[in-house]
Amino acid sequence: MKRLKTAALFALALACGTLPAWAARSPQEILIASDAVRNPDFPFGLTNTLVEYRKGKETDRSTLAIYSRADPNGGQFRSLVRYTAPLRDANKLILFNGKDMWFFDPSSKASIRLSPQQRLLGQASNGDVVTVNFAKDYQATAAVEEDTQDGDRQTRHCYKLTINASTDAATYAQITMWVDAATTRPVKARFFSDSGKLLKTAYYRHYQPIFGVERPTETVIIDGLEPDWVTVMRYSDWVKRDVPETWLQRDYLPRFKPE
Amino acid sequence: MSPSRLPRLALAAIALLLARHAWADDDDANALMLADQVDSTVAQRSDWRSFIEGSAGYSHWRNGNNRRDSQRLSLDTQYDHSLSPAWRLFVADRLDIGWPSQNGNPHGINTLKEAYLNWRAQPETLLDAGRVNVRNGVATGYNPTDYFRRGAVRSPVSISPASLKENRQGSVMLRGQQLWDGGSLTALYSPELDDRPSSDGFSLNPGATNYRDRWLLSLSQKISSDYTPQLLFYQEAGRNAQLGFNLTRLINDSTVAYLEWSGGRRQPELAQALQQYQPGCACKAWRNQLATGATYTSPNKQSLTVEYHYNGAALDREQWDALRHGYLPAYAQYRNWTAAAQDSPTQQALFFYASWQDALLQHLDANLMHNVDLADHSRRLWFELRYHPGHVDYVIQWQRNSGEALSHFGAMPEAQSWQAQVRYYF
Repeated sequence: MKRLKTAALFALALACGTLPAWAARSPQEILIASDAVRNPDFPFGLTNTLVEYRKGKETDRSTLAIYSRADPNGGQFRSLVRYTAPLRDANKLILFNGKDMWFFDPSSKASIRLSPQQRLLGQASNGDVVTVNFAKDYQATAAVEEDTQDGDRQTRHCYKLTINASTDAATYAQITMWVDAATTRPVKARFFSDSGKLLKTAYYRHYQPIFGVERPTETVIIDGLEPDWVTVMRYSDWVKRDVPETWLQRDYLPRFKPE
Repeated sequence: MSPSRLPRLALAAIALLLARHAWADDDDANALMLADQVDSTVAQRSDWRSFIEGSAGYSHWRNGNNRRDSQRLSLDTQYDHSLSPAWRLFVADRLDIGWPSQNGNPHGINTLKEAYLNWRAQPETLLDAGRVNVRNGVATGYNPTDYFRRGAVRSPVSISPASLKENRQGSVMLRGQQLWDGGSLTALYSPELDDRPSSDGFSLNPGATNYRDRWLLSLSQKISSDYTPQLLFYQEAGRNAQLGFNLTRLINDSTVAYLEWSGGRRQPELAQALQQYQPGCACKAWRNQLATGATYTSPNKQSLTVEYHYNGAALDREQWDALRHGYLPAYAQYRNWTAAAQDSPTQQALFFYASWQDALLQHLDANLMHNVDLADHSRRLWFELRYHPGHVDYVIQWQRNSGEALSHFGAMPEAQSWQAQVRYYF
C-alpha cells in the first residue's frame, strides 16, 4: 500500500513536469555537485585579484598566485598562496594544509605558524581566497526550491541549501547557499557565525568555460555588518599543473617559486 | 500593554523585517554594481622587489642628558630569477648610509645578504651554492636554533625582531635538501673563509659569517596532523656538536604554542668572550638554551606573543652582578661578544610582543615590544606605528631603555629615542 502511494506521488510529479528535490538528489549531493562546478578535480593554479571597496571607493588591491591540490585522504584542498602584489608583500607565502598553516617571508626567512583564527582575518579572509570543497567540512541538511536574483541580477530557480559545519576545520558555523536547480552552479551564499550573525554574503558570477566546465570567475563578497565593505575576487590564468605532495610542507616554502 | 496594541506592534515588526530584507537586497545590488566597475588589470609577477628608505631621529643619552640626532638612507633590493626550470638565481643586497656613523662603523655599509644559485636536480632534490641566509627557529624574540646568527647583523637599523632577521648577511655554503611527503632532510657545509670581520663598509665581509668551518643537518617529519617536529645537528670545527629541536602546536583555534631548544657541551659565553684572558678554559659542560611561548590572535586582528627565554651559557644573577661591578674592559668585551652572537648576557628573560593590524584606521599597524631581563630587572620598551596605504610606508618608532647602570638594558647609551621613516617600494 505504502509503495503504491509512493508510486502515485512519483507519477504525479512526472505528470507535473518536475521532480521534488528529495526525489532527485539529496541536499548533500547538490552541495557536492556545486563544489565540482567551482573546483576542478585535479591539481591546478590560478591568479586571484582581490579589490576591496569601502563606502564606494577602492581602498585595497592585491594579487595572489594560488596552487591547489586535493588531499588524497580527506578530499579537502591544500593550497600554496604567493603574493604578487602589493609590492610590500610580494613573494610572501602562505601554506594552507588543514589546520597546519604557515606564513613565510622571504626577506627574513621566517616561517611562522598561523592559528585558524588568522585564517578568518579580513573580509576576503585568508580562508576565502583558497579553494574549498564545502561538502568535506559541512553537511547540507535541507534543500528547498526558491527563485532568487543571481550576481548578474537575473532570476534563477535555485535550491536553497541549509548547510551546517560538520568538522573542526569548517570556517563558518552555518551557510545558506543558493544553487541553480538546472545546472547546480552556486549562485550566492550567506555565511553565519555560531550566534547566527550574518558574517558575509558571496555572489558567484561571470561564468566562463574553464577546463571544459562553466565555472565562476568572480566572487563578490559583501560584509554582513558593513554592507558598503565589498571585496571582488577575480580569477584568471587558470592552469592545470602538478602540485606535488612534497611542496605542501613548511620546509618547502623557502624553495617555492611559481613558474 | 493593551491587547489592542498587539496587532499593530506585530504589523510594525513584520514591516520592519520586510524593510530590512529590502535593504539587504539593495545592499547586494549596490555591491554588485560596484563590482561591475572593477578594473580588470592583473598585476604581473616581477623578479625584483626593492625599496628605498629614509630615516631621521634623535636620542636622549644618559650621560649629561645629551641629545643626538641621526639620519639614514637605505636601499634594499631582492632579485629572484628562474634561469631555466631547473636553475634559479637569488640575490639580496642592502646599502645603509648613516649620519653620524654608529659605534665606529663607516658611514656607508653595504650588506650582500644573499647571492646563490639553486639547482633542482630532481623534483624532490635541491642544491644551493653561494651566500645563503639560513634561519631556523620558531620563536620570535630569541632563536637558540638559529645557528647562523652570530656576526650576521652588520648594520642594525632597528631592534624589532623582523628587522634583525631581515637585515643580515648569510653565510657562504653548499646546501642540499631532500624532500618527501611530510618531511625533509637538509644538509649544509659552510667553510671558513676569513677569521675576522672586515671594517671596510663595502667589503663582502666573509669573516663575519664564515669565520670557521660549520655543518648543519636538519630533519623535519610530520608525525600527525598537528605535529611536525624539526631536529637539528650543528657543529663548528673544533667545537662540540649542538643539538636542536623545534616544535609548534595549536592550543586552540586562536593560539599557537611553540618550543625551541638547543643544547650541547660548550664553554660559557664569558669564557669564549674573554679567551684572550683565559686561554684553554677547562669549563665545558652541557648547556641548554631555550625559547618557549605562545601567540594568541583575536578576531579583531590583534595578536599577543609571550615568550620565556633561557640561555644556559650566559651568566646567572650572581655572576652578572660580579661582572658588572668588576673589571670594566671585561664587562665591555662580554657585552660586545653576546651582542654579536645575538644572545642575552644573562640567563633568563621575558619577551612580549603585541601587534594590531588596521588599528583604528585601515592600513595602520601598531606594534609594541617589551623585554624584561629577569637577572637585573632592566627593561626595554619599543613601540611602532606603521601606516601603509600603498607603495609607501610611513613609520614612527619610539624606544626606551631603563635599568641600573651597567644592567642589560640600563647600559644602553640611549635612554630614549624617536625615529621617523618613510619607505617607498618599487
